[in-house]
Amino acid sequence: MTPAARVALAAWLAGMVACAAIISRTQFSTDLSAFLPRSPSPVQQVLVEQLRDGAVSRLTLIAVEGESPDRLAQISTRLAASLRASPSFAAVNNGQEAGFEKDRDLVWRARYLLSPAINAERFSVAGLRASLEELLLQLASPAGVFVQRVSAADPGGELVRLLDEFAPRARPRLHGGVWFSGDGSRALLVAQTRAAASDVDGQQRSLGRIQEEFASAAAGTEARLLTTGPGVFSVISRERIRTDAWRLSLIATVLIATMLIALYRSVRVLGLGLLPVASGALAGVAAVSLGFGSVHGITLAFGVTLIGEAVDYAIYLFTQNAPGAAAEATFGRIWPTLRLGLLTSVCGFSAMLFSGFAGLAQLGLFSIAGLIAAAAVTRWVLPALLPRGFAVTAVALFAPKAMALVRAAPRLRKPMLGLLAVAFAFLLVRPEPLWSGSLTSVSPISPREQALDQQLRRDVGAPDVRYLVVVHAPDEQAALRAAEEAALALRDAVAKGWLQGFDSPAAYLPSEATQRARQAALPAAETLRQNLQAAQRGLPFRANAFDPFVRDVSAAAAMPLLERASLQGTSLALRLDSLLVKRQSGWAAMLPLRGVSDAGAIAGRIAEPSNAILLDLRQEFDELYRGYLREAVLNSLLGAGAILALLCAALRSPRRVFDVLAPLAAAAVGTCALLALSGQQLSIFHLVGLVLVVAVGSNYSLFFDREAPSSQDRGRVVVSLLFASVTTVIGFGLLAFSSVPALQAIGSTVGIGAAMALVFSAIMGRPQQTEEAYARAS
Amino acid sequence: MIGLVAALGLVGPAIAQPPGKSTLVLAQLMQELSQVKSARGRFVERKHLAMLNAPLESSGTLVYAAPGRLEKHMLSPREESLILDGETLLIDNKDTGQRRSFPLPEHPVVWAFVESIRSTLTGDLPTLQRFYEVSLEGDAGAWRLRLKPRDARMRQAAREIRVGGSGTWVNLIEVIEAGGDRSVTVITREAG
Repeated sequence: MTPAARVALAAWLAGMVACAAIISRTQFSTDLSAFLPRSPSPVQQVLVEQLRDGAVSRLTLIAVEGESPDRLAQISTRLAASLRASPSFAAVNNGQEAGFEKDRDLVWRARYLLSPAINAERFSVAGLRASLEELLLQLASPAGVFVQRVSAADPGGELVRLLDEFAPRARPRLHGGVWFSGDGSRALLVAQTRAAASDVDGQQRSLGRIQEEFASAAAGTEARLLTTGPGVFSVISRERIRTDAWRLSLIATVLIATMLIALYRSVRVLGLGLLPVASGALAGVAAVSLGFGSVHGITLAFGVTLIGEAVDYAIYLFTQNAPGAAAEATFGRIWPTLRLGLLTSVCGFSAMLFSGFAGLAQLGLFSIAGLIAAAAVTRWVLPALLPRGFAVTAVALFAPKAMALVRAAPRLRKPMLGLLAVAFAFLLVRPEPLWSGSLTSVSPISPREQALDQQLRRDVGAPDVRYLVVVHAPDEQAALRAAEEAALALRDAVAKGWLQGFDSPAAYLPSEATQRARQAALPAAETLRQNLQAAQRGLPFRANAFDPFVRDVSAAAAMPLLERASLQGTSLALRLDSLLVKRQSGWAAMLPLRGVSDAGAIAGRIAEPSNAILLDLRQEFDELYRGYLREAVLNSLLGAGAILALLCAALRSPRRVFDVLAPLAAAAVGTCALLALSGQQLSIFHLVGLVLVVAVGSNYSLFFDREAPSSQDRGRVVVSLLFASVTTVIGFGLLAFSSVPALQAIGSTVGIGAAMALVFSAIMGRPQQTEEAYARAS
Repeated sequence: MIGLVAALGLVGPAIAQPPGKSTLVLAQLMQELSQVKSARGRFVERKHLAMLNAPLESSGTLVYAAPGRLEKHMLSPREESLILDGETLLIDNKDTGQRRSFPLPEHPVVWAFVESIRSTLTGDLPTLQRFYEVSLEGDAGAWRLRLKPRDARMRQAAREIRVGGSGTWVNLIEVIEAGGDRSVTVITREAG
């Protein structure tokens, strides 16, 4: 071993140890954060935080189906009881009255702090007189039943007013005392986990708990359990990424190793061939860990894709090594081409580095670091370890046939160009958009699971909020005051008919200032008694009929103010939690709107008094995705520009640059057409796949373009490309079977694209003298 | 809770058989009531409440259509309608324009009240007995059903409900509340 080789080996070992050390301290995340923007607008930031940690993100919807409604109701009751006893859940609701009574108790106790109708005027003689006259009418009316029992303590009807206001707008139907879907086929429960959606371990424990308790609650029945929600999605996507990444890398490794061992006929050489892949993977993970602070599971899953390209470097070296020649000599010939191919790939991937989409940026860094490490190991470490005079004997077997095909290929040029023209025209004229415009296309959740989620949400009557007013404030109280201010403007907008109604955190927890103002409006017992007496004159109420009212008003004037903890255990707490949230800095209050008919007018009205913003969620989410897509397309174009500049600089011949790039462009068009033909709408991940096609395919077209020194050498080049493309198609083709949409998209794109790039390179490549020579020689 | 039951007081057409002194069997009365498909009448309701020193009077019309629809339209002291259909109770206040609907399964006590009169009108003994212990007094010419709530929560609201009638005509509904409040609704056939 030469001293230089020793240095290289030592450097490699040191590098690997360093990578391993970094990785051992790396945090791996598997939540949905990779699918959310890295640097969102302030407005999007609120949404992203809510999706990650908000109260809404902690809701798990549970449905039980497959049995008679009576059975389902029993199972729901048992399941809810056992889940309520579990520490994993903050609240479990299945429609049973238990929760409602707590709400009613709280509202009753705090009615004089909560009711927006409370002011000094209301307790004057005139105000009381109006209340009592109205009460008399209500008592006589059929609806009197709802006020009669409480009217002595609540003649103003604050309780009924508040319960009306707090009542959910849409409720699931009831059967056997528990919630059911509209068609009666599913019993429904809503559980709020203590763990945030981003705490995947906690979510997994909660989900396991639900499954366990269901198994015992439904023992001996045919009932089935359905669960959905952000937490469930986190768990599913982690499991899926994990199993897919492991299973597919394992299968890919076994298949590729089997193929290589059949070609190399040496276990040692096989091991050497996988060395760049393993080194690249370690370097990639370490780089991402250093660059991003943590590594997302989906990035690891892409490790599979690296096998597809990194294994090629060793294949080029081993296969193109002439019998008896030293590896160093081979590199003398192929390294410039390999290096150019590597730089092309790096240009392609660096486009992704700048993506605002965390998953893509990580993937870009992972690939760049991985490929550079793999190429470096191939160039400087492998030659020292390769048995001297090693040659792949199978080359002689494949070369004649491969060369015959390559020679015949240009004859297909015209049909191929014709087909490409058709494909291009097809892409242009087809009515459906080529690119999916919806954020769901990047979600790790399958369309079927998304459909189930929407179904259960509809069943439960969870409001499909589109418009949201958001106010920011430095602390909780300021946020509540800002919400009250916004609510004032919104009430005005309701009166103008711009919307039907809205929800506000300050309705459940008025700001301290408002609570104090209401307490201040409550009269002293003696004053109230006198006013009542005057107000009662001529009405048929008994003299002391409203003593309980006087007592409760006095108590309310002295009661401690409501705070967040006062709502504990009620369904109002859950609503407050989802509407009033602590942020990384400060607080945000959210007021969801109902029945919006003039969003523009509302936005103008609320902008004046406060810094409230009207959010159109649908537009924001679509904007988010369109932003991603625009940026991804722009980055890809920049990447393509960089590749073009690189090739121009390296090849110094427009003709050769065209020869190298034309097959790649053709492969991209062909791949898009095939994917579109198979009914797929293209997402960002398909775009990433196309970048990979260019990265991998550039090696093929560069090698085809390079004039080989001898006909034998040309044969070895062609065979090495054949082997390399087969491993790529295996590696990526397997990903096409993944159930993770991102992996599936990239796998199918690169699987098809890489094969096309090789074939098109052969068809469009200029016939070389060495090929003629090869034909004459054989 | 008085108002609601009184609200649902109802009437049927004249009985087919002449009034007699024969003892009436519960099952037979219910069977005869179930033959009535529709009815209209006027009601006058008096509520005797502990907090009032004079009874509170309201009046209006009542409409029944088998199997489960009941409408009570109060015309005085103000216009307000209460419509019971299937498992939903709708209260429509024409003054305020407010319409509120109550799914009965969510309000068990209200449901029990509603069934005291509706199940009687439809002759649905099993439903009536699900909510009440039922006993019958009198004869076909003047009978009285005494309904004692089975559910503890319901007993807190009403000690007893009495439904009186003659033949298949329900002419009196009396609700005695646990607190001593009481309502009496008298129903007469609508003139014409």
